[in-house]
Amino acid sequence: MTPTDLHFTTIAEAARLIAARKLSLVELTETYLNRIEALDDQLDSFVTITGDRARREARAAEAEILSSGPRSKLHGIPYCLKDIFDTAGIRTTAQSKLLADNVPVTDSFCQARLSEAGGVLLGKNATWEFAHGGPSWDVLFPPARNPWNTDHSPAGSSSGSGAAVAAGFAPATMGTDTGGSIRGPAAACGIAGLKPTYGRVSRRGVIPNCFSHDHAGPLAWTTEDVALLMQIVAGHDPLDPGSADMPVPDYAAALTGDVSGLVIGVPWRWLEEELPLKAPTRAAFDAALAVYAALGAEIREVSLPTLKAYEDAKKIIAIVELFSIHEQDLRTRPELFGASLRYRIIAGGLVRAEEYVQAMRARTDLARAMQAVMGTVDVIMLPTGEPAGLLEPVPPQTLFTRSSYMTAFNVGGNPALSICSGFNDAGLPFSLQIVGRLFDEATVLRVGDAYERATPWRERRPALTARAKV
Amino acid sequence: MTEFTPTRDEIVLLARHAGLDLPPAYFDELVDAYANVRRMAARLPHNRPRGDEPAHVFTPTKFLPVRS
Repeated sequence: MTPTDLHFTTIAEAARLIAARKLSLVELTETYLNRIEALDDQLDSFVTITGDRARREARAAEAEILSSGPRSKLHGIPYCLKDIFDTAGIRTTAQSKLLADNVPVTDSFCQARLSEAGGVLLGKNATWEFAHGGPSWDVLFPPARNPWNTDHSPAGSSSGSGAAVAAGFAPATMGTDTGGSIRGPAAACGIAGLKPTYGRVSRRGVIPNCFSHDHAGPLAWTTEDVALLMQIVAGHDPLDPGSADMPVPDYAAALTGDVSGLVIGVPWRWLEEELPLKAPTRAAFDAALAVYAALGAEIREVSLPTLKAYEDAKKIIAIVELFSIHEQDLRTRPELFGASLRYRIIAGGLVRAEEYVQAMRARTDLARAMQAVMGTVDVIMLPTGEPAGLLEPVPPQTLFTRSSYMTAFNVGGNPALSICSGFNDAGLPFSLQIVGRLFDEATVLRVGDAYERATPWRERRPALTARAKV
Repeated sequence: MTEFTPTRDEIVLLARHAGLDLPPAYFDELVDAYANVRRMAARLPHNRPRGDEPAHVFTPTKFLPVRS
């Protein structure tokens, strides 16, 4: 390990070095803080940096590990959080002028778990306003940029989280996903990001987007690291009404590398007819399926309800719940919202109660249809999306008119992992989405990890160089 | 289902009912966004097997004391 690549150390590698007492935690934390200081003016991936706290936590972790060994695989490892996770005493803004001075008094469930595990908090990551409307240039902070090409978007809404991990600013972060907000940035930035099963990870202390579809989950460079983070944040929280009281397996133990005999379902009608893939993305997806076939998996077609059916139910529910969360501010100070978010939620106040109930009924029927298909395969596989587009204003109407391959799995509640599956001619990552049965994150992670072991994509990193400071 | 296309005056009434007294520029946003919402709402299925009712999210066991 040289000082030049210390910032690209994975959690798993760092944990091994820490256990062997071959890595200075103070040096590790300082490496990340220096890198953020030198390079984040190009990415805007952090909105708050907690340098003093991180140095304190690193020194304390180093002393504790020297005397009694590590508490967990995360002990002494730096991480960051999307700026919608409450952090006691640290500003939590959701990127919104409405929360510019919001300093929570208690930690979110996830922050509490990561802190108890001995992690070192580096800071808070940029998001889209309230994890929904963006990218925006009229909100509290500028939008994050993609480290593979800073003219491109890191997608959203966990934009800063995806950019920070890919850039080597932190090995771990937490994001949230209501319609693709973990998987989209993971895909755009070429990292691994897991939307767990609905209810698997507590959302207590997370600023809500849409209660019916909000999920919290980890992002990291590798699936193995995502598994390590899941071990810390997964589990029942009686104080989150949506939290599921289900046993949590040993996720790292599930990473056997073996997918022989596994049945993979591909929703070809989505990919060929309803929202056709572009040719290079299709070629990358075919190549990924070939890797699994060579590893002994069986690939077959599955048929699901239309993407549009999932999108309509999800978005009617989302705008009504968003309006109910923000109604007072929309009525009294609408000018403090970014235009993109305001457009997307303001009509939620005009949706009839009957339409919300119909959308909730449709959601249940669509989720049932998905679970029926999932009963016939081990995982569903498809691209997460096309490679990252340019970072530029997006017409807000597209929220209502554009489909994605991700939203259906928020409606179904199924665990869905995005991993990197190569790079296009412009050097931007391709992505692969792996969807599992409810509460079967272990299989999803096993399938993602097996692909990463069999392919060279984890060896490539974005090249960022410091600009001369004037 | 027939798509309901409200007039601008009708949207004024709906907005008032929702407690929204918006500046003109924001009202234009609302009119545009609401047209998109109407199209989505019109596509929601109505004639299909009955799904679970949203009312079932109310489960009294959630109000019992938390077991330690």
